[in-house]
Amino acid sequence: MIWLTIILMTAVVFVSRYLFLEPRLPLRLGPRTTRFLSYSAPAILTAITAPIVFMPDGDLALEFSNPYLISAALAVALAYLTRHVLFTTVVSMGVFFVMHV
Amino acid sequence: MSSQVLEQQDYRLRAFMVGLRAALPLTLAIVPWGLLAGSFALEAGLSGIEGQAMSVFVFAGAVQLVVLGMIGTNAGLSAILITTFLITSRHFLYGMSMRSHMSHLPLHWRLALGFLLTDELFALTGTKPPEQFNRWHALGIGLCLYMGWNLATAAGIIAGQQIPNMEALGLEFAVAATFIALVVPGVRKVSTLCAVITALLTSVACELYQVETGLLIASLLGMTAGTASSYLLGEPLASQEDAA
Repeated sequence: MIWLTIILMTAVVFVSRYLFLEPRLPLRLGPRTTRFLSYSAPAILTAITAPIVFMPDGDLALEFSNPYLISAALAVALAYLTRHVLFTTVVSMGVFFVMHV
Repeated sequence: MSSQVLEQQDYRLRAFMVGLRAALPLTLAIVPWGLLAGSFALEAGLSGIEGQAMSVFVFAGAVQLVVLGMIGTNAGLSAILITTFLITSRHFLYGMSMRSHMSHLPLHWRLALGFLLTDELFALTGTKPPEQFNRWHALGIGLCLYMGWNLATAAGIIAGQQIPNMEALGLEFAVAATFIALVVPGVRKVSTLCAVITALLTSVACELYQVETGLLIASLLGMTAGTASSYLLGEPLASQEDAA
């Protein structure tokens, strides 16, 4: 039963990832769909990030004592100014861990 | 001729290594969840091999943790599969967005990169236009995450109940930091800002009210807000450069 569950889960997850990569799938993305999809990365990544930053313990934490919020604000500033992904990530993580201990 | 081949191999290896390095912060961030997926599998009644197999074949963090909880409470197979489908449905969006990057690749590349197409791989590759896409770079990212996830699962299975409480470390901030670093430079238009702000507010609201499909709702609303505002503001069709 566990193995059947794993196999079927694998199928569902893989199909969801692979389906639209298949060139034989008759799907032509028109200009409207392309425009809609051009917002997928910023929208999805923000939707994953925002709850981590604003509610790290499950409750809304809009305080200066919330290290997630302060370090995230720093990351936004660094990313805006430097546009360097790894630099922004490493520096803001460093500040976060110093604040968090 | 042979030096050309060598040069090409060198270039591929370099792209692969750059991918590995780019994925390191995100790999660090998934370690606590991988440990949890391992120890949680034993708790739910799976054998060590079954627990590891889940990470080897399914390779989807949120799905695995939720389903393990369901197996632990003896949920039915159909309920498990419906839940899996709901959580994994955002991948349809990833596939559609990456269609212009990946659909021209040979079958074995599509299968490999499709299998590895997680949130993290999409974050690092989908924020760049198709012309900048490099399959070896993507493979480096994907395999780094895959190895990290599976090693962490194995460690979680071995440690069992003794896994340290790594949630207190706040490693998930690495996800936030990386995603911010990827999203912010791409916000060059008012409409993209609208998409980001809408996704931000709705995702927090959904989390507050514990809406299970909050991520999908917030993403689709954000994309809709971006599209609608771009029409309202009369922005020109997104050039590839702005597609981030």
